[in-house]
This record gives sequence, C-alpha cells and structure tokens, in this order.
Amino acid sequence: MSRTRNDDIAVIGWSVSPMERHTAKSETQMLLEVVSGAVDDAGITRADVDFTCAGSCDYVAGVPFSFVQNTDAIGAWPPKSDSHVEMDGAWALYESWVRLLLGDMDIALAMGSGRSSTSDPAILYPMEMDPFYLAPLGADHANLSAMQARTLIDSGMLTERQMAEIAVRTRRDAKSNPLAQVSGDFDVEELLAADYVNAPLRLHDMPPITDGACAVVIARADKARELCENPVWITGFAHYTELHNPGMRDLRSSTAATLAAKAAGVDEAPIEVAELQASFTHEEPLLVEAMGLGPEVSVNPSGGPLAANPIMATGLVRVVEAARQIRVHGRHRTLAHSSSGPCLQQNLVCIMEGD
Amino acid sequence: MRTSHERGIAEVTITVESTIKFPYKRSLGPVIGPFMTALAEQRFIAIRSGSRVICPPLEWDPETAAELPRDFVDVGPAGTVCTWSWVSRPTEQHPLDRPFAFALIKLDGADTALTHVVDVESIDQMSTGMRVAPRWRAERLGHITDVEAFVPGEEAITVNGGVPGEPVTMMSYDASITYKIPVSDNTIKAHEATAQGRLVGLKCPVCERIYARDRGFCPIDTVELTDDHEVELPQRGVVTSYTIITPVQYPGQTETEPFSRVMVLIDEIDVVMMYQPLVDVPVEDVRIGMRVAVVWASEAEKADAGRPGNLVGWMPTGEPDNTDPSLANRIM
Ligand SMILES: [Zn+2]
Repeated sequence: MSRTRNDDIAVIGWSVSPMERHTAKSETQMLLEVVSGAVDDAGITRADVDFTCAGSCDYVAGVPFSFVQNTDAIGAWPPKSDSHVEMDGAWALYESWVRLLLGDMDIALAMGSGRSSTSDPAILYPMEMDPFYLAPLGADHANLSAMQARTLIDSGMLTERQMAEIAVRTRRDAKSNPLAQVSGDFDVEELLAADYVNAPLRLHDMPPITDGACAVVIARADKARELCENPVWITGFAHYTELHNPGMRDLRSSTAATLAAKAAGVDEAPIEVAELQASFTHEEPLLVEAMGLGPEVSVNPSGGPLAANPIMATGLVRVVEAARQIRVHGRHRTLAHSSSGPCLQQNLVCIMEGD
Repeated sequence: MRTSHERGIAEVTITVESTIKFPYKRSLGPVIGPFMTALAEQRFIAIRSGSRVICPPLEWDPETAAELPRDFVDVGPAGTVCTWSWVSRPTEQHPLDRPFAFALIKLDGADTALTHVVDVESIDQMSTGMRVAPRWRAERLGHITDVEAFVPGEEAITVNGGVPGEPVTMMSYDASITYKIPVSDNTIKAHEATAQGRLVGLKCPVCERIYARDRGFCPIDTVELTDDHEVELPQRGVVTSYTIITPVQYPGQTETEPFSRVMVLIDEIDVVMMYQPLVDVPVEDVRIGMRVAVVWASEAEKADAGRPGNLVGWMPTGEPDNTDPSLANRIM
C-alpha cells in the first residue's frame, strides 16, 4: 500500500516496563521510565511530543487524581496538550490517534500504567460495576467471567480441557517473551487436577496480578517518515461497547468485538498475528470467532494477558506486541485488541501494517 | 520438564496499609427507585421494552437508547439459573460469609437475567437450569441485598409479609478497599528528617528548583531526585495566602470549628509550602505577611502513634509583618 497521505499515522516508538508481581516503584516512576524509553526509541525528546494521553485508574492506584501526579513523567513544562482516560492505555492511544487526525499536531504519546498488586482484585473490581445492581453484591471481574466461561461450556462451544490447552500454549509461547511474568512448560492433566478458584475457572484460566506500564509514540506520515526507517502504520482503529450488565447480553459471543474488528477493516486483507486482550482462557476462542480470525492467524505469540496483565496497560502492550511483529519479525499485517468492562463489554481493535 | 517463574516476589519493600472508604449515597431515579421499593415489599418488578420484559429494569431501551415508558410488570419470584460461578472464598463485600454461587437468574416472566447469589451448601448442588426462589431479608431497605440469597426451589421465603412502605429514593453503598502501598525511599527520608526536626527538600540539578523531600522528580526536567539532591531548608517564612475552612461534617472530618490553612514562602529560597496549619492563631488574626516559624511535635506527641507527622504547623515569630504587596501572588 502506498503512503502518500499525511493523514496516515504510524507507531514510531515504544517501551514496556518489566512485568512484576510487586513493584516498589510508583506509577509515576514506571511511567517516567517507559516515556523515556519510548521517546528514545522514536529518536525524539519529550519536547518534540505535541500531545500526551494516559490511561490509568484511581481505584487501582488507591489515590484520588493519581493521573495528576503521573503528569510528572511527561515533562509538562512548557505546558503540554494533555488528556487522560480512566481506561486502558489502548484507549489513550485511540484518543491520541484521533487527536493527530485533526492535522495540527504531528507527534503524540500514549501511555498506560497500573500497580494492581497493592490491593485484592476481588475487592477492587466491583468498583467498576453497575453501582445499583452489581457492585453492592461484590460482583467482580473473575466471577462474572467465570459465568461467561460456563455459558460457553454449557453451549458445547468449549471444554475445560480446551481452556487448559490454551493456558499451556500461551505459557509455552511466553518463554520467548523476556517480559513475561508467567511462562514455562506445563501439562494439561496437571493443570486440570488443580482446584477451581472461581469454578469453572482454575488459576491457569486467569491472568496473573501484574504491575507495569507501557508507552507508545505515534506520528503523522511526514513526520513518521522523517524520524523512522520502519514505521508501523495504523490502518484501522475502532472501538465499540455494548450493555454493561452481563445478564442482558448473549454471553456466547461479543457483538462489540465483531463490530470493532469490522470497522477496523479486519476482513480487508489477511491478518498474520493477533494480540488479543483475552484475560481469561475462554475469552480467546470467543474473540477469535467474534472477530472472524481464521486458523492461520497466530494468536498471542507473546503469551498475552495470561503471561502478564498490567491492568490499565494490558491493551496497550497488545498494540506494542502486534507492532513488534511487524517491525522486528517482518510480518506485514497484524491486529491488536483491548477490552474493558465485565465479560468483554467494550472492545477496541487496532490493525497495523508495515510498508 | 516443568519450569515457571514469577518475577519480583522476593523484593523486600516497606509498605504502608491504608483503607479507603467509599460511603456512596445515590439517588435511584424513576425506574431503579420503584424496583428497590418493590424489593422492600418482597416483590420483583421489570420494565417492558417493546415485546421484551427487562429485569432488573433500565430507564432506556437497551437496543435503541430511547427512554422507556414506565410500564412496570411483576416478575418472579422464582426463576431459572442461566449460568453460575462458585465462590469458595467469600470477601467482606459478598452478601454471604460462606461459600456460595453467583448466578444469572432469569425470573419467571422476564427476558433478561438478574445477577444475584445462590445459597447452597456445596458446589454439587448447583446446576445450570436449576430453579431458584428468593429468601428475603427480615430488615429490608430497598437495596439489591434485600434478597439475602436465592435458594433452590419454587417458593420464596418471605418475612413479615409484604407491607408496602414509603417509596425508596436513595441507596447507600459502603465500599472500602485496603491497599498495601510500597513506601518510597524518598518518603522514608522525609519522615526521618522531620523526626530529627529538620526541614529538607530536593534540589533539581538541572533547573535548581527545590521540591518536597518525598517528591522524587523534577517534573520540569523529568529528572529523578534522590539523596544526592537533598538540601536543608530554613525553618522560617512568611504567610503569602490563606483560607479559613468551615468544616462540613463529611465522614472522616474530625474538625468541628473553623480553622485556617496557610501558604508559607520559606525564607531565602524559592519554595512555598502549601496548606500548612497554624498553631495557636485565632482565625480572625490570620493575615498575609505574617512571619512564622516551624513547630515540631514534642517527644510526648511523637510517641502518639495516631499523629500523622512530626511537623505540627507554624507559629508567629512576633517579627513585624512583611508588607510587600506582591507576596499575595506567591501561592505556589
Ligand atoms: Zn528541574
């Protein structure tokens, strides 16, 4: 595909922090490092960045207005045009991309950060749920996901064995990812012999608790060409949401994921690699089917969120891993996905191509 | 072969545990309000959306987002489990303190499922498609937990009949999250300094601005600040601005009388300390230009574990006021 329009926008640099079960660093410190890493990678300085957008969550940080402290990481003097989303950094990238489409700025930096090790996810997650019908029951992400997994199993779409096989594959693939937190060779029978955590989910079906951060630099075409020998072009970017309450949706699929993938152009040309924010094993086949990805597509070669799950950055890391497949591994067209809300309520798809 | 690793677990870090409470009070509006009122009366209501019956009810059509007419219909009380998960270790946020199931329950007459809990003795008693009915709580407030739990069977377990009360318009949701936050080296050093009666800051090696000892960065130059950058600060200054706060008795507020918070520009250097307490100064005497000096906690006060820090506040020195009119611009 020829790149002549300056409206085309490319990923030109990134940085991902170590993925740790507990970090002693603050979110601001983690961001300071990945922002430095990403601007270095892009061959620029913070002063060259026209727009920044961060994704983080006060409930995760345990600090009100934590994103204000995090602006220490971006070098906001002289003042910068800055924004924040209480969403994964993948949505911060989406806002940055939309901002660059306006045409008056050339370079944007998106980041995501989360230090979820400081609290118990079972206590933390109900805070993101409907405050009338769900949160007062202590309904958390894992239990609502477990109910979606059972729906798939009851419908004959998936078995607990197939779920364990997904865990084995992703943990094996994660061995070649230096950033993976959980990796190694595992045996399906041994995994299935373990107790349930939230039946039908066992520990291997669930993501690890991870502290981490990620930053991505994007630029409009002329600037991207000037700065970068191998820009990774964003050719499609879309997100959709559906009803929040899982009891009002058909949990066997994800309409929002289908629509987002279609809007991003998934069926316009072959996809070689898909990095999906499948935080639970059962979400992977559901998303693969919802997005219409064929068996030829390599899914989560990095190990995905089951290998490291820095919430608020997990989706942005998917973008980096999908971009890495193009810049480092010579793939031509890859897909990154992010999700938010209970049972895959919101879905974002970013499709990227090399020259 | 079987290998696995988890990074970082062995790192030893000082953490401080803090619990943040979220005492939310929410108005319920014209649809959730009647639903909660019905719960207090040991009934379930749903709302019609075209040919569908939606429970729990929503204000808007989930397909079109059009506002729904307030066409309520009774549903349940029994229903069918569409799917479920098993909670072997309940948290303090859960309605039951023993293992239980979360379930999506399609109440009889409804087309959507209500999320709630099922109280059975073991996971073996749970199955998709099983029939359940509510066990109502004796003391009902118009809250989703007025249903203590669903139990297997067709018959609701009611208490005191269903006496209609006042419409429920508000609900409380008291969440709390406990965090174990790692304490940074700079924060420890800041605490040690105040324990020694020292006021210290960190000076950026690039722009030479001075920051609070626990800040850790110059945000202008994005330079990390560490022990190497520590500087001693004078313990006297001048009030550049102030506010008088009349305490509102929100949860956690311990002040009952109006009190002041002042901005102090430290002598000789370009640092303003914000929102500092004044010691023994009636609110009517607080003024810009007042000369002040640091007051440290006494040994007895330091021994009080409940004290937040060793810097008690600032006290007038008795020197003549600074009358420079530009002082009032120095609030940061
Ligand atoms: Zn500086």
